[in-house]
Amino acid sequence: MRSAEYIADFGMDTISLAGPLAAKLRAIEDAGFSQVMLAARDLVGHPEGWRAAVAEVKSSSLRVTGFQVLRDFEGLSDHLHDYKVDIARSMIEMCAALGSPVLLACSSTSRHASNDEAVIARDLRKLAMMALPYGIKVAFEGLSWGRHINDLVGAWRVVERADAPNLGVGVDSFHSFATRTPTEVLQDVDPEKIFLVQLADFMWQEIRTVEERIETARHFRVFPGEGVHSDELRGLVIELDRMGYRGDYSFEVFNDDYTQIPLPVVCERARRSAAWLAEDVLHRAVPLPDGTRLRMSTAR
Amino acid sequence: MTALLERESRVDVSNPLGIEGIEFVEYTTPRPQALGQVLESMGFRPVARHRSREVLLFRQGSMNIVVNAHGGAPAQGEAPQIAAVALRVRDAGAAWQRVVDLGGWPVPVKVQPMELHIPGVHGAGASRIYFVDRWREFSIYDVDFVPIPTVDPKVASVAGLHWFGIVQYVGSDRSADWCAFYTSLFGFTLLPAEQRFGILPKGSVLASPCGGFYLQLIEPEALVVDDTGERLQRVAFGAPDVPAAVKALRARGVDFVETSELHTEARGALTRPALGGVMFELVHHG
Repeated sequence: MRSAEYIADFGMDTISLAGPLAAKLRAIEDAGFSQVMLAARDLVGHPEGWRAAVAEVKSSSLRVTGFQVLRDFEGLSDHLHDYKVDIARSMIEMCAALGSPVLLACSSTSRHASNDEAVIARDLRKLAMMALPYGIKVAFEGLSWGRHINDLVGAWRVVERADAPNLGVGVDSFHSFATRTPTEVLQDVDPEKIFLVQLADFMWQEIRTVEERIETARHFRVFPGEGVHSDELRGLVIELDRMGYRGDYSFEVFNDDYTQIPLPVVCERARRSAAWLAEDVLHRAVPLPDGTRLRMSTAR
Repeated sequence: MTALLERESRVDVSNPLGIEGIEFVEYTTPRPQALGQVLESMGFRPVARHRSREVLLFRQGSMNIVVNAHGGAPAQGEAPQIAAVALRVRDAGAAWQRVVDLGGWPVPVKVQPMELHIPGVHGAGASRIYFVDRWREFSIYDVDFVPIPTVDPKVASVAGLHWFGIVQYVGSDRSADWCAFYTSLFGFTLLPAEQRFGILPKGSVLASPCGGFYLQLIEPEALVVDDTGERLQRVAFGAPDVPAAVKALRARGVDFVETSELHTEARGALTRPALGGVMFELVHHG
């Protein structure tokens, strides 16, 4: 395994890769990453069951960045709410078994969901309380095609209103760029309450319709620096760093092409992206040619 | 707010569950007799046995402790664990429903025929919080327990010992989380930092909405690796006269911690750990 401490803040997401979980974990490790974002599908789709998947993750050298994704939780009533609470409990149990510090929840797209922000905040607070005994933080993300909450501004507003210590926001560069949310809005967000940052680039300049957003988000994302939004990504990461964000950056790259090429090839693209962000954007210390840094980090 | 609640005059907004103290504390242990001896040295007496399980009820004054040998070995080796705290509330079903509606995890119920269904939610670590409303007119123990013959169910307390509180060990940077849990789900109030009790005043202290008992949350020391997990670590008894209580308990064979940093004082005392971790704190309290 290549040691790469200087990219320790960056991680890959299993959704960028095809194949069984064990192969994904190994490829991510081999590329020098130390963390991985997992999806519920990685666990429940395991042929030997989700507990076996958890054991595979635990036996790897990777730490878990977060667990995704609880959808359409907030704003429902009666039996729909009760149903989603059951789903959330299952997600929290898997998240806890993984030792994942963060559960990602994204804003509702359901037309059955209320737009009353008092209700949305109450439900998010309940979700946070459900996650709390397990030591899990909930990162709430405004999907750019969310029905009522569709950007960081809205997500932060309801998170502040819900006011729970383990409830914060997840920032996804894709949704921010798609909705043309200016980086300046981050200044209103408490950096301590940003529980996850997901980064992705994409190839088109603009995505106008909601349908196009969904299509792009789910099939055509690329790693930071590979698309046409590198400058915006640079600006976003620099701003997050400047305001004191010291958490993880995960590459949330859904890409149909990447799921049909060999895993090491995809992971190498991700590694180049991490190196660009670490060296060129954040000016992190780079390993010395004589490998001094490498030995130091191995000795730890 | 008051006007909005004119039809619900029984709902006290500062004590939404109608909490009125601790009904019992439950320990689980694979060695119930050994724990029983420790409890007896502290002034408790076994007064009843559970009808269907290997569970004993110990009593002292107004305090009940349930020793459960039924649940198998506790998570961490042989040491007894505080497995549950049962709160006295106005209406157990309503209290449970409210806490679950706010995000509490319901505890699955496993009762035998003719046993009481005591509703509960998950608390710290593997512990549970139960809700009991039948404590005024008759007791839950009349239903689930059989009195031990010849034992007086009323047990005088040693030196006026009574429930004072429970100490919960929490993870690093987890105090704010647990404060939110107890304040928003149960109506507890966080006390200001200058309001502390006893000889171990670390961490955060929350007062119950009835004002009758306290929860103390303690994080690991900075830079110390502590992977023992979150749990209810000990109970504290209030004593009107701590030195007198210490003297009475010493006469019963209880050892107290007496070091230069930590020792018996007028404001409190701590028993030496028994059975790999069971300890009791005394706190000066009328």
